[in-house]
Amino acid sequence: MNELSRAQIRDLMAQVLKNQDKELPADDGAQLREIGFRSLDFSELALRVEDETGEELNFDAPGLRRIATVSDVLDFLVELQQQ
Amino acid sequence: MTVATPHPPAGARPAGADNRLVVGGTTMTWGTLPTPVLPDPAAVLAHSAGHALAAARQHALHGTELLLSTVGRVDAAMRAELLDAGFTVTVLDDDGAHPSAPPRPRAAEPGRLWLLTSGSTGRPKRVGHTLDTLTTVRAGQPDRTWLCPYAPGTYAWWQVVTLSLTQAGQHLVVVEPDELDDWPAVAAAHGVDAASGTPTFWRRTLYRDAAALARVPLRQITLGGEPVDQAILDQLREVFPAARISWIYASSEVGASIVVHDGRAGFPAAWLGREAPGRPTLSVHNDELVVTSPYHGVGLAGPVRTGDRVQVVDDRVLITGRLDSDEINVGGSKVSAGVVRGVLTGHPAVAWARVTGRRAPVLGRMVVAEVVLTPAADVTDEAALVRWCAERLPEHAVPRRIRVLTEIPVKETLKSDV
Repeated sequence: MNELSRAQIRDLMAQVLKNQDKELPADDGAQLREIGFRSLDFSELALRVEDETGEELNFDAPGLRRIATVSDVLDFLVELQQQ
Repeated sequence: MTVATPHPPAGARPAGADNRLVVGGTTMTWGTLPTPVLPDPAAVLAHSAGHALAAARQHALHGTELLLSTVGRVDAAMRAELLDAGFTVTVLDDDGAHPSAPPRPRAAEPGRLWLLTSGSTGRPKRVGHTLDTLTTVRAGQPDRTWLCPYAPGTYAWWQVVTLSLTQAGQHLVVVEPDELDDWPAVAAAHGVDAASGTPTFWRRTLYRDAAALARVPLRQITLGGEPVDQAILDQLREVFPAARISWIYASSEVGASIVVHDGRAGFPAAWLGREAPGRPTLSVHNDELVVTSPYHGVGLAGPVRTGDRVQVVDDRVLITGRLDSDEINVGGSKVSAGVVRGVLTGHPAVAWARVTGRRAPVLGRMVVAEVVLTPAADVTDEAALVRWCAERLPEHAVPRRIRVLTEIPVKETLKSDV
């Protein structure tokens, strides 16, 4: 499997926000609520990761409850690729 | 076994017998077209557009039972199915008819014509018609030279062919699939002033060479076979300001049911529920277009659920796409792929768009799109198109992944399954 690094996923996350004229802050501790990164954006990011790796990601909403910061998103997707 | 065709009864000469036909660059008439000897009943697989016209003429003269298609559209399984249904499957090419007899021959049904539906939603199925039920243009028409770009034997092909067979002054220029990309040159050379095609056909033509299209002296432009959006109507109006631009809703099952000439997408909501002798009645049931038509196929009398999704916007009823593929459920919110497609094709840099739902974590599905950009487009990236959509659509309807293709995809039916 062609895994993406945390930095590569971060670039994709920045692209998701850029398409909406938003900017990904440098601080990975930034709250998703404050930067306007919502469930639609999270799903889009997952599709972008799928497109890059060629692998389907499987997870559902309950797994996302603990995700509140940029760092949480990146950690979650890095771990998900390893499952 | 090949059954010899009987001589035509007196007076059976079609009204359009003297109409001009241009086939492969050669000009002839229905009357001078070579007439093959065909079995009865026959499933004729025409090798070219000219052979298909010859089979149609043979049916018009003799009323033999006929299913007409092309070699490419009928696979081995379908051939076996047709043989099993008692058809003599006959390949028609320059060397004549090459019949394969059915295992259990049956009596022919005089006057019966069969269409194979395009099969965009599964296996093609047979729909029974007659030349009469396929003839929906009955009022006298001004003299026209029509381009016929459709695949032989499809409903749209029969519409153009029956018009030419049944009315004097309706000439035909047929193009083979390998001529399709250059049809404007063929059409301009033979004085084509009327053409019917799918929105994909027109988009491809505008995309490939709008200047060549503008040289065709079109006075009648017809669109059908796919949802027709405002953008393509406007683009054609710009090239042909004086032409009559019409769109037609027609299918093998219910015939030609809606004809709109006002240059706008959709049809007036006032047409819903309107009843008039000899005309189809239109209604909407659970977002689905329902048609009760006098031009229906065999066994389809009464209200027919079309499988096409409609949306009423202000005073218009828009046909947005197939019910089973148009609706995309994004986390519980319904999105019409057709509406999103209309927004994308409304962007000046977009020549064609396909919108679909893609499986996505959390939300179930997300809206994604493929586009072809116009040759003159400034570089337009995904972000610019996403922003264009975000300004015009609810957040959940905005396509999140937009892939740029280099060529408008098209099938033999001139559709692209948008």
